[in-house]
Amino acid sequence: MSDSSRAIRRQAELAGKPRASAVWLIYMREMRDQLRDRRTLFTIAVLPIMLYPLVGMLLLQIAQFTRQNPTSVCVIGTENIEGAPPLFEGETFAPELIEQPDSLELLTYRWDELSADRPVRDKANEWVKTGAFDLVVLIPPAFKDNELMGDLVGTDSKSTSAEENRDSDIELLFNVGSDQSVVARQRVAGVLASWRGEWIKERLSGVGIDAEMLLPFEWSDTDIAPERTREAAFWSKLLPFIMLVWAMTGAFYPAVDLVAGEKERGTLETLLCSPALRSEIVWGKLGAVASFSMLTALLNAGSMLLTSSLVFQHMGVGGAGAALGSPPLVPMLWLFVALVPLSCLFSALALAVAAMAQSSKEGQYYLMPLMMVTLPLVMLPMLPGTTLNIGTSLIPVSGMFLLVRALVEGQYGTALFYVPMVATVTGTCLWLAARWARRQFEDEAVLFGGGEQWELGMWVRHLWRDRQIAATPAQAYACGAIVLVTLFFARLTISEMPKDFAGIAKLVMMPQVLIVFPALIMATMLTTSVRQSLRLRMPHWTTLPLAVLFGITLHPSYVMLSKMINHVYPVSEQAAAAMKPFAEQIASAPWAAVVLLMALVPAVCEELAFRGFIFGGLVREKGKLRAVVLTAVMFGISHGVLQQSIAASVMGVALGWITLRTGSILPCILIHFTNNALSVSLGRIADSGWSGATVFLSQTELGPSYQPFWTLISMGIAVTCLLYFGTVSPATDESESELVGSHHDYVDPTASLASA
Amino acid sequence: MIHVQHLTKTYEDLQRGRFVAVDGISFSVQKGEIFGLLGPNGAGKTTVLRILSTVLEPTEGIATVAGYDVVRDSAEVRRHIGFVSNNTAIYDRMTAWEMVEYFGRLHGMKSTTLKKRLEDLFDQLRMNDFRDVPGGKMSTGMKQKVSIARAMIHDPPVLVFDEATLGLDVLVARNLLGVIRSLREAGKCLIFSTHIMSEVERLCDRIAIMYCGKILDSGTLEELRDRHREDDFEELFFGLLSQHEQEMRVGGRIGHASAANHGVGEQLV
Repeated sequence: MSDSSRAIRRQAELAGKPRASAVWLIYMREMRDQLRDRRTLFTIAVLPIMLYPLVGMLLLQIAQFTRQNPTSVCVIGTENIEGAPPLFEGETFAPELIEQPDSLELLTYRWDELSADRPVRDKANEWVKTGAFDLVVLIPPAFKDNELMGDLVGTDSKSTSAEENRDSDIELLFNVGSDQSVVARQRVAGVLASWRGEWIKERLSGVGIDAEMLLPFEWSDTDIAPERTREAAFWSKLLPFIMLVWAMTGAFYPAVDLVAGEKERGTLETLLCSPALRSEIVWGKLGAVASFSMLTALLNAGSMLLTSSLVFQHMGVGGAGAALGSPPLVPMLWLFVALVPLSCLFSALALAVAAMAQSSKEGQYYLMPLMMVTLPLVMLPMLPGTTLNIGTSLIPVSGMFLLVRALVEGQYGTALFYVPMVATVTGTCLWLAARWARRQFEDEAVLFGGGEQWELGMWVRHLWRDRQIAATPAQAYACGAIVLVTLFFARLTISEMPKDFAGIAKLVMMPQVLIVFPALIMATMLTTSVRQSLRLRMPHWTTLPLAVLFGITLHPSYVMLSKMINHVYPVSEQAAAAMKPFAEQIASAPWAAVVLLMALVPAVCEELAFRGFIFGGLVREKGKLRAVVLTAVMFGISHGVLQQSIAASVMGVALGWITLRTGSILPCILIHFTNNALSVSLGRIADSGWSGATVFLSQTELGPSYQPFWTLISMGIAVTCLLYFGTVSPATDESESELVGSHHDYVDPTASLASA
Repeated sequence: MIHVQHLTKTYEDLQRGRFVAVDGISFSVQKGEIFGLLGPNGAGKTTVLRILSTVLEPTEGIATVAGYDVVRDSAEVRRHIGFVSNNTAIYDRMTAWEMVEYFGRLHGMKSTTLKKRLEDLFDQLRMNDFRDVPGGKMSTGMKQKVSIARAMIHDPPVLVFDEATLGLDVLVARNLLGVIRSLREAGKCLIFSTHIMSEVERLCDRIAIMYCGKILDSGTLEELRDRHREDDFEELFFGLLSQHEQEMRVGGRIGHASAANHGVGEQLV
């Protein structure tokens, strides 16, 4: 495309800014349209308002039902405990032995009452098995031999013989398959333990020892969490989850109807040929979808809150100290803070995904994959022990969720600290999702394509016949997915750390081969030019020495970054110990071999795959940002260890930007190589006795590290290099290469007329 | 009013690979003229008209409508064109009045002018008896009328009718042709695409015959008759098509094109 026509196009784009009035008009129409749809109204309004009270009613009924069925316990052999401290009082256990004695229904038998026709134990077994009793306590006749005062002299051989003792032990028969039975066992075991305590006290006082002497101190539990936290603890986990799931569902169905449904009914084309701009259409529809998403979430969360507080009040569960109090209503208003941005995010995602479908039916199929991607982000904060910290605050959706939880629980200080991070991440995601949705509406292949029959053979033929000079974005995604999935499974096969250098070489080579192999195969099979698709082009010659300089000067900053990451997420001692022989082997192996293995091989393999094939595919169709970000993320994930992944992702962004500017992977290979080579040789340089080494390096107990002044200077040089990379003209401009050749190169005779 | 030069549109297609839907066509249409685009299904008529209405972007070539380029000034083009197609449906959950009013407001019309224009249009197209009927409950004829009113609401100088008579009964189709004639009287520039030859014969001032993405010939009915020495229009049309197929076969490039358009005769009325 020529510069002049690009400038004209830019002008046209500026002139075509979305007008608020048109967006509002479209928004209002979509809202009215959805509100006239019975199905939508049912899912967003009628269902939540009816559902929760109905469920609440059911719960109450079940609760009443279970209260009428207290745990039933049968004690057999009451005659065998005569003379012992009292176990029963009337029809229940003695009150000093048990809290809430009413909740156990107790039935007692004498041993001889039952032993008439068949063994007592068989009968008891059957009772528990059939559920006649949740628990049977067998007090065998031999129990009588346990005298209250015991053999105080300690010469009794019975107490030392375990074999004999067994006959006189109490037996609890329970069924692990029944929850109630398990609970009954726990409670009765508690009762028996207290009862045994009484025995001990009596025995001790029998020999003149004060039982109090054996208890030098007592303790008491006090929950110092403010009452609000205590109440909110449960609800602040559950409610955001419920709300976000509904926000997702509430966004999805209108999105499918407003895009895929309109495509199917043909009304989308009507709208597209109206004067409304694509951006206005997207914003209007996005607004409508987000409104429905929020409405659904609010109605559901509200209805659930209200019902559950009523139910809890009615059931009388909760109160102080209980983990499951009735939900605190006012703090829940903080949920709005999360709802608005996350609803918008889900709506933009749903809109972009729904745009790919040709019909409502097809659109429904996309709900599950979308859920699978977003649900883990909503589930993560529910995991025990997940709290708001630097790491979690940077995870999209999860960070927002945790922030709101902190607000609901009243930890304003913590929340305030993480607001900038959460806001940045959420804002970025929102911007990316909205951009994706808008791109979908500008892509005629998305709006009008598809709908044809898919067939494996036809598709394979298409792959071969329509090979292009570089990978398509789809092929790039596929390559990335193949690499990451095979790496995942390959890592599972590694059982132990190798002991010798050959084993280490194998261990290092395996992932590299797995990374480069799919890229090479796909480049050979699916594109017409291996060299072009792997982006093996000659960049401007100055970039090559500059790449080495950049590699050298970036290394101190990279080391610093790694240290910072290790500070926030320390490597577990176990992992560090596992890595130790590895490091020792590397340190003692010949230097050339180490550099070849740890620097050259990864530099070539990883760059060919990530900055070569995958980048080359993703950068097409105006995907500059997509290419830089996604290759960095994939590059990071491929490193496997969290600490390395984070550092590598950051490095990946720099490498991605440089390869974008230079149009080649050669500078990246050099940078990558220099960086890795320095990492493995730092110790050797420090030990070499070279006088210059002390200028840059200082010895610490953790090995050599850079002098602070050099870190600072190198950072400056690295930034300068980076700026220079920004000025070079790339080997080729791939980002504009469209799948279909581009128009707009004609000189239009009427252009002057139109602008006049 | 409409100028099309070397217009080409290619698609990526799973079965056929890169598929040329429109192959370097050129034509122009003047004010007060009805231009007929005649061709069998799959000839590329709809693609051309979608490019003119800026819904699709051309791969190569230029198209201008009322002086505006369809790529650069697409918003201006849409302001000056009314597009009726059997692909441009109406909303099921909107009444006829709401639907036309909505598009009027999208065109930025003031409510007083819009109201007056709506009343005029509803009278002119005799739509007053189903003003408040939602789209889902309308007959095909009613829907088509709403579509035409929707396209005419902003009184555009250029109107495009793509297979607009498809699925209409004789009575409604006849009415539609009447409306189009009256638009010509009003000095509009009209493109009318169809695969029905009788409509072209009765309505169009000039005709282009399209097949496999190419314009085989164009001109007034008389010009075409003289050039091909054939008075019967249907014979003329078939003659052109089979002549083209023969040329393609000789060129050895018949391949998929004919496969996609087999049984041309059966599709024509």
